[in-house]
Amino acid sequence: MLEQMADEAISSSFIQNQIDESNPPPAKKKRNLPGTPDPEAEVIALSPKTLMATNRFLCEICGKGFQRDQNLQLHRRGHNLPWKLKQRTSKEVRKRVYVCPEKSCVHNHPSRALGDLTGIKKHYCRKHGEKKWKCEKCAKRYAVQSDWKAHSKTCGTREYKCDCGTIFSRRDSFITHRAFCEALAEETARVTAATSSINNSTLPNMNYHFMGSASLGQNTAQHFSSIFEPVISNNHEIFTDPIRQAGLSLWMGHDSTQSSHTAPMNNNLQPLFSDPKSNYQFNWASTGNNRISIPSPFDEHQTTSIASSTNALPVVNKDVGNQLVSIPSLYSSQNMTDQCTHSATMSATALLQKAAQIGATSTDPSFLESIGLKRSNMNHVQDGSKFFGLFGTNLMTTTNLGISTTADQVNEHLSNLNHHLYPSKRRHIQQDQDSSGSGETRDFLGVGARSICHTPSINGWI
Amino acid sequence: MMFQDDGSSSVTSSPFQNSPMISLSPGLGSPYPLLKELKSEDRGLYLIHLLLTCATHVATGSLENANLSLDQISHLASPDGDTMQRIASYFAEALADRILKAWPGLYKALHSTKLSLFSEDILVRKIFFEVFPFLKVAFIVTNQAIIEAMEGEKMVHIIDLNAAYPMQWHALLQDLSARPEGPPHLRITGVHPQKEVLDQMAHVLTEEAEKLDIPFQFNPVVSKLDNLDIEQLRVKTGEALAISSILQLHSLLCPVDEPHKRSPLTTMKSNGVNLLRASQIKQSTLGDLLQKDMVNGQSPGADSASSSPQSSAPAVQIDGFLNALWGLSPKVMVVAEQDSNHNGSSLMERLSESLYFYAALFDCLESTLPRSSMERLKLEKFLFGEEVKNIIACEGSSRKERHEKLEKWIQRLDFAGFGSVPLSYYGMLQARRLVQGYSCDGYRIKEENGCVVICWQDRALYSVSAWRCRRMAEVDV
Repeated sequence: MLEQMADEAISSSFIQNQIDESNPPPAKKKRNLPGTPDPEAEVIALSPKTLMATNRFLCEICGKGFQRDQNLQLHRRGHNLPWKLKQRTSKEVRKRVYVCPEKSCVHNHPSRALGDLTGIKKHYCRKHGEKKWKCEKCAKRYAVQSDWKAHSKTCGTREYKCDCGTIFSRRDSFITHRAFCEALAEETARVTAATSSINNSTLPNMNYHFMGSASLGQNTAQHFSSIFEPVISNNHEIFTDPIRQAGLSLWMGHDSTQSSHTAPMNNNLQPLFSDPKSNYQFNWASTGNNRISIPSPFDEHQTTSIASSTNALPVVNKDVGNQLVSIPSLYSSQNMTDQCTHSATMSATALLQKAAQIGATSTDPSFLESIGLKRSNMNHVQDGSKFFGLFGTNLMTTTNLGISTTADQVNEHLSNLNHHLYPSKRRHIQQDQDSSGSGETRDFLGVGARSICHTPSINGWI
Repeated sequence: MMFQDDGSSSVTSSPFQNSPMISLSPGLGSPYPLLKELKSEDRGLYLIHLLLTCATHVATGSLENANLSLDQISHLASPDGDTMQRIASYFAEALADRILKAWPGLYKALHSTKLSLFSEDILVRKIFFEVFPFLKVAFIVTNQAIIEAMEGEKMVHIIDLNAAYPMQWHALLQDLSARPEGPPHLRITGVHPQKEVLDQMAHVLTEEAEKLDIPFQFNPVVSKLDNLDIEQLRVKTGEALAISSILQLHSLLCPVDEPHKRSPLTTMKSNGVNLLRASQIKQSTLGDLLQKDMVNGQSPGADSASSSPQSSAPAVQIDGFLNALWGLSPKVMVVAEQDSNHNGSSLMERLSESLYFYAALFDCLESTLPRSSMERLKLEKFLFGEEVKNIIACEGSSRKERHEKLEKWIQRLDFAGFGSVPLSYYGMLQARRLVQGYSCDGYRIKEENGCVVICWQDRALYSVSAWRCRRMAEVDV
């Protein structure tokens, strides 16, 4: 018995036999700091074997072991013990604290003992134990099963990601971070907007899917490795190559049939896509419960966002360093002609609408209508004179394309040409028009192609 | 020469007399220095003008003028320039392609050595998926419609008419595994002309289904849509069928039995050309050849796909196809298409509509990717450029990109016996959230007749609608 006890206990103080029924823990007291036990407490040192033993409570009658004292009590009832023996030996409740059996651990010393048996067990597992439990979604490993369960519940389900790449599982910490990060972000946005134009090649800063940026931890990089694959390779500045390469090979490894392309991403992407078993990105929609995540490809700091709640994604407003923040206003469909206040070009859509405005008559605001009208007019009206006049006068008043440059003169010329030409050239043009399709050459801009063709000779130029 | 010298010009001496700006004939020396100085806006407007001019010439057969316009365009357009320059370069290429078909020998010689890289196709498809929200929205909405229709179903069979994007079904598998009643027994039949693509899909999806523990089967059908044998789909009784068609149906709008060899020039003239007058034109011999073509063969029904399906339009493949699909009694069929009319019978009509449409798409790209981006160039060239070329330069059965507006599709599907299934608000919400996550602010999701339309600014680009098989007795009020 003594040897057995010696086997099981190492402590220098009072040795607790593992068979002893431990009293239920005392009423909830004020919690001490971890590892600073009540000096009055009884220090218990259990061997690792005892600590990890699952069935600490043994029935003295049949020797059956139980993980919990309550279960043991329940079991004992079944033995139909006489009343006396049913009672537990009353013991004064004495606070027990436990030390970690691992000699190198700080909690090995009685003054740093931990108060809870479960606590010390978990501590031992966590710090000194083998991590047997692995999260299937990310690569995190756990020694304690409850830790693992708790993690896998939240892993990937609710994640907040800041634009700078940091990931948070808690909303409050995310918001706090964002408040500070926002400041940084705005500053960056201001700086970059001021210094570069839209055509600047730093634009790709906002491009998408990456295999984890430098700021992402290793775990997340691995986690997302299977999900996204960088397509745009222009921008190398933000990523450090090793991470991207690591990410790339991780992704490759995920798909076992991939041949390993370890070549760093370069602009032509040839190595990546030479394998026809191509690299589609999955998980662009979130997992579970019909929640679709928003893979924002245009995150500046290329992190893959799997968060499924909209309020978690700051991407809409946080185009850090996105010079295009000003662009939406540029491309709005209203006030097209007034929008060109900056140096960037007008959108093609805006140009088309402007062209339609210029070329159309006052009753035909739309591009197509003017085309349609013209054509139908052409069909029925061989004599397009009314048309020419319309366009002529219209052009004179509506053409106002440029400013005082030679380009302006050109445009003015176009309108002048139209105006001057048609009355004088009507006969000729009409002949040609009739022969070629009654005015088909007239286009919505109102400037006849033929007139352009004929310009030099007509005006005696060159 | 086309130019006619009119000494009696009443044009007053223009201040631009010394400007060689608008001299078009190449023989007149270096004519374009000032063009380079045009501001981009003016250049853009001028390019639009030139494109329309050129198209008009092409439509009427005045190839000399078309050539001159193209020459002018070539000095202003560039695939590396601003949005309008890029658009113009692809449209000009399409117009040139069209003209070139008048000389079949020349055309064939130039196109025979064109390589079509399989890996490039895959890459471009992938870039399209990643850069734009269109496919993602279509997938989200489609999946949501399928999930809702398949509530309570134990055996689900999905037919994917363009099985090139495993991501769609990958996401669906995950959604299905999270169903409260547990995942169904799932079968996906993927149709695609390339076996390798189907192999890839099979691999990806089977792996995911195993991981999620969903009973799953992938059946590849290597076939083009226009010669798809419905029997190959192996639809079984007792299973709930869903059909997903993403940007596929429009290729079936081409007419049946169209002789492949017919030159597009026979249909090049627009309505109302007076053929008698046409023969009076003193054109070059090439032009004469053109005129002869015009006189010879004008099939009035060649491009009548844009007419109402109820009318006596010549048979289009889609009718038979939709009929066959209807016969399978799908529980839900989700159709995503471009929402723009590029199927007009006249070139001008198609050109102007497609100009607007692709301008919007090029604008998206401009807002999304830098001008130097290779991905952008690839999308513009290999995806949009090819679509534009097909719309502009091809006729008859070789013109596959026959996009039509949503209301046309609604009509067509209704006529084929399908009843509209309004898309759920939840699906649209998800789509909106996805689109809001994009950094460029121009995408909009709107709802139209129970269908979801994705727009860029105000321009509708793609639409998604859901349908069910309507039985005889039902009447849609």
